[in-house]
Amino acid sequence: MSWTLALPELVLACSGLVLLLAGVIPKQETFFPITMGAIGALLVTAVLVLGQGEGTALGGHYVADAFSGFMKILALGAAALGLLLSIDFNEKEGLGRFEFPVLVLFASLGAMVMISANDLMALYLGLELLSLPLYVIAAFNRDNARSSEAGLKYFVLGALASGLLLYGTTLVYGFAGTTNFDRLADAFSAAQGVSAGVIVGVVFVIAGLAFKVSAVPFHMWTPDVYEGAPTPVTAYFASAPKVAAIALLTRVLLGPFGDLAAQWQQVILLISFGSMILGSFAAIGQINLKRLMAYSSIGHVGYALMGLAVGSDTGLRGLLFYMAIYVFMNVGAFAVLVAMRRQGRAVEQVEDLAGLARTDLGMALWMAAFMFSMAGIPPLAGFFSKLYVFLAAVQGGFWTLAVVGVLTSVVSAYYYLRVVKVMFFDQPAGALDRAPASLTIVMAGTGLFTLLFGLFPAPLLAAAQAAAAALLG
Amino acid sequence: MDGFLASPIGILAITVAQTLALLVPVLIAVAYLTLAERKVLAAMQLRRGPNVVGPFGLLQPFADALKMLMKETIIPSGANRVLFILAPMLLFMLAMIAWAVIPVQDGWAIADINVGILYLFAVSSLGVYGIIIAGWASNSKYAFLGALRSAAQMVSYEVSIGFVIVTVLLCVGSLNLSDVVRAQERVWFFIPLFPMFIIFFISALAETNRAPFDLPEGESELVAGFFVEYSSMSFALFFLGEYANMILMSALTTILFLGGWYPPVHVVPFTWIPGFVWFALKIALLLFVFIWVRATFPRYRYDQLMRLGWKVFLPFSLVWLVLTAAVLKLTGWLPA
Amino acid sequence: MIAALAFYLFAAILIASAVMVVTARNPVHSVLFLILAFFNAAALFLIAGAEFLAMTLVIVYVGAVAVLFLFVVMMLDIDFARLREGFQRYAPVGAVIGGILFLELLLVVGSWSFADQAEDLRLAPITGDVTNAQALGRVIYTDYVYLFQTAGLILLVAMIGAIVLTHRQRPGTRRQNIAAQVNRSGSVLLEKVPSGAGIATLGIRRPPEPEAEKPKVTHEAGHGHGGHH
Repeated sequence: MSWTLALPELVLACSGLVLLLAGVIPKQETFFPITMGAIGALLVTAVLVLGQGEGTALGGHYVADAFSGFMKILALGAAALGLLLSIDFNEKEGLGRFEFPVLVLFASLGAMVMISANDLMALYLGLELLSLPLYVIAAFNRDNARSSEAGLKYFVLGALASGLLLYGTTLVYGFAGTTNFDRLADAFSAAQGVSAGVIVGVVFVIAGLAFKVSAVPFHMWTPDVYEGAPTPVTAYFASAPKVAAIALLTRVLLGPFGDLAAQWQQVILLISFGSMILGSFAAIGQINLKRLMAYSSIGHVGYALMGLAVGSDTGLRGLLFYMAIYVFMNVGAFAVLVAMRRQGRAVEQVEDLAGLARTDLGMALWMAAFMFSMAGIPPLAGFFSKLYVFLAAVQGGFWTLAVVGVLTSVVSAYYYLRVVKVMFFDQPAGALDRAPASLTIVMAGTGLFTLLFGLFPAPLLAAAQAAAAALLG
Repeated sequence: MDGFLASPIGILAITVAQTLALLVPVLIAVAYLTLAERKVLAAMQLRRGPNVVGPFGLLQPFADALKMLMKETIIPSGANRVLFILAPMLLFMLAMIAWAVIPVQDGWAIADINVGILYLFAVSSLGVYGIIIAGWASNSKYAFLGALRSAAQMVSYEVSIGFVIVTVLLCVGSLNLSDVVRAQERVWFFIPLFPMFIIFFISALAETNRAPFDLPEGESELVAGFFVEYSSMSFALFFLGEYANMILMSALTTILFLGGWYPPVHVVPFTWIPGFVWFALKIALLLFVFIWVRATFPRYRYDQLMRLGWKVFLPFSLVWLVLTAAVLKLTGWLPA
Repeated sequence: MIAALAFYLFAAILIASAVMVVTARNPVHSVLFLILAFFNAAALFLIAGAEFLAMTLVIVYVGAVAVLFLFVVMMLDIDFARLREGFQRYAPVGAVIGGILFLELLLVVGSWSFADQAEDLRLAPITGDVTNAQALGRVIYTDYVYLFQTAGLILLVAMIGAIVLTHRQRPGTRRQNIAAQVNRSGSVLLEKVPSGAGIATLGIRRPPEPEAEKPKVTHEAGHGHGGHH
């Protein structure tokens, strides 16, 4: 039994159970120590992932390779940063309950199961293990109507998406008689072609996963859920689950369904187009920063999927690279959002940032860095990420995709730069409270990454290259 | 003759005959259980109990049945008529169909199916529908409150019953009820699994809504709980269903823990007595305990009932289950 | 022949009751039809020889899940007229989507084929000599342990979620400490009394009557079981 290959998952699962017990037994509230424990467990798991071997295990349901390692470290890092953001916010909002870090931890476990899935059943179970805690933490502020609405909306639509996904997997299973990715790949590579049912099944699977990455046309839930959920939760939503879902989508489409590329490529192309266009235009009118970030994340998913639509080695590398940079700048921007408080009350409108440069220059500078980076202004990290996907698209001959990508980047620059303009040139709307140390650390860390990435892009590129090679190899 | 017995109609005829041979004694037992309960309770409370109808009151059950039959059936005007009538039938029917898999002696089961224990568990978990539908269809607040109580109570105690059953199954290695009994040829399971036996019996009390867990009826606060609106034969069906369920749960306890049809020791005077007599004797003993408990303990308060189920029985049975599994695995006694 | 007849009978009832779940006016009836649907699905499992699954379906879905459904639906006073309002408004959209899905399904069924190695790849076929409970038991903790344990974690998360979202610690509630209550000494006196002797002759101490002018009528013994009769 080769269960030792799945050691990171086992460690994470066991530490989740231990933390749950440790949180339940003491009489007083244990939010802070449990959060610290959860962050520690996530980091330990990330280290174990680094040292993980390669191969399939556990009855062929689990696969570990360079691709899964890359994505897992991203997802774990995003979860740890998300927890770091939540410490101060949750305590101030009266949400400091130990179940929060435990749920985030189990969600990260779900993300890892998804990334390592080598079977349609493991895929579904990982997806559910990721989604279920997300539904709960979206509604974590249960006395707040918007938070409850966010949780309920997410739950109902998520259940629908799971239903679509399951329906698709049954069709695929019905055709091939197996759910294992390797065997599926064999079945689809057979010469005589596949029946229409499988194509319908693949489309349903894509639809279910597109819901999780909130790509157009399955994006409707995103703005409402992002707005209603507590801000650190939104920060988490916009990073780790997307990484996991993108990883899964990539693995499913390039692995078992790799021979059906002609069938799914158009679908991904359409999704990518739609997401880029909607993400850039719909965000223009937003006055709530969380809704703005929601549309922004839809747009970014569109750019990332461009790499998948191209389907080539470089495209995949661009996608991985994009996700890595997106996670960091996104968490940084959300750190600023989490820190926005005026007289102890959380605020989240764009105009609440007015004149931030004059009251808190440090935070304004970091925010400006993240906004410039998201807009894709050189020499910030976001520029490189876009550059690589556009390059891949051009190399693959997808000229329209690249042109639409550049144009929508220009449109989206408008609303990113508006935030900067409000911060630096508008009349101050009153000073914001000082950001707590944990948030400043996150801002500074991700901010430095964003600013200085251009100097040392090689290690990340090499890692993305290796991961892409592992999947396509 | 052989040809007829092998034909579909013949098989049907045999099954009907077997069913009658089992259910008629069960129904008679139900009738006399009502009398026995009143007699035993009376004895424990230093009274005489029914002693007017027939010698020692032996005809009392028939007098009661006659009384029920003669009464007017009342259906409340706001009631949901179909469900109102359906509920008691459901309850009674469930108490009867469960007997299909009970092996009263080696090889004497109407349907000796592979998953007999699951079948019994499924049927006993359905009993709650009769109660909850009756409570809702009556359109009366007392009935409804009783129904809600019973739904929560029965679902809660099913959990620990499930774990007890799993523990027994670990020791048997089969879901077939006859196999469960055969596994106890040398030692009855109530000896090694004594705590589970106690938990199972108490949960059986809760599952049959018997004292001290008879909150769904709660005559002092809910006047009679879920069947407050019932009269005449529909009431009688509830009544019969409850007693049939008691006998059924006793039979299940006998099969799981008291060695089914086996005599206590395999020596001559005991082995002369046929298995089904032992089976019946064990059931009678358990039924006596049912009544004895009723005469002894006051009714639980609702929160205490829930606490006992979820905070005491559930963790305990879980721990015992893991312990049993560990012991079986370490000692190599795990059945193949 | 009988098996085929039974199959069509159960399948027909299953579909009919599934339709009734959606169309029944009374939500309680909907849940009851749902239960009927579960039963028929269990019967179909039985016909297919999957007796373990059939029983599990009844135990889990009918015995536990649907009871809680029924519980909730009975407690809530659902106003169906208002629900129907929205239903009517969105019905055309729903009908179009349903129609498209149905057409796709027809398309799929019409052109269905199996992959050439599909027969050999069928997961874990059951050999004839084991019961299906045994067959399941053999693979769940070996070939499928990863999926099984992940499913367990999902259920754990669901439990945590339900508790997080609903459990409230109300201030000022007084909890019963049963251990302390059972262990108390001095307030309870146990005495062995000969049976048949009256209270007066034994001279048992009784608490003083709080209201002497209203002597309580002691009920006759055996009143407790009057509830049944």
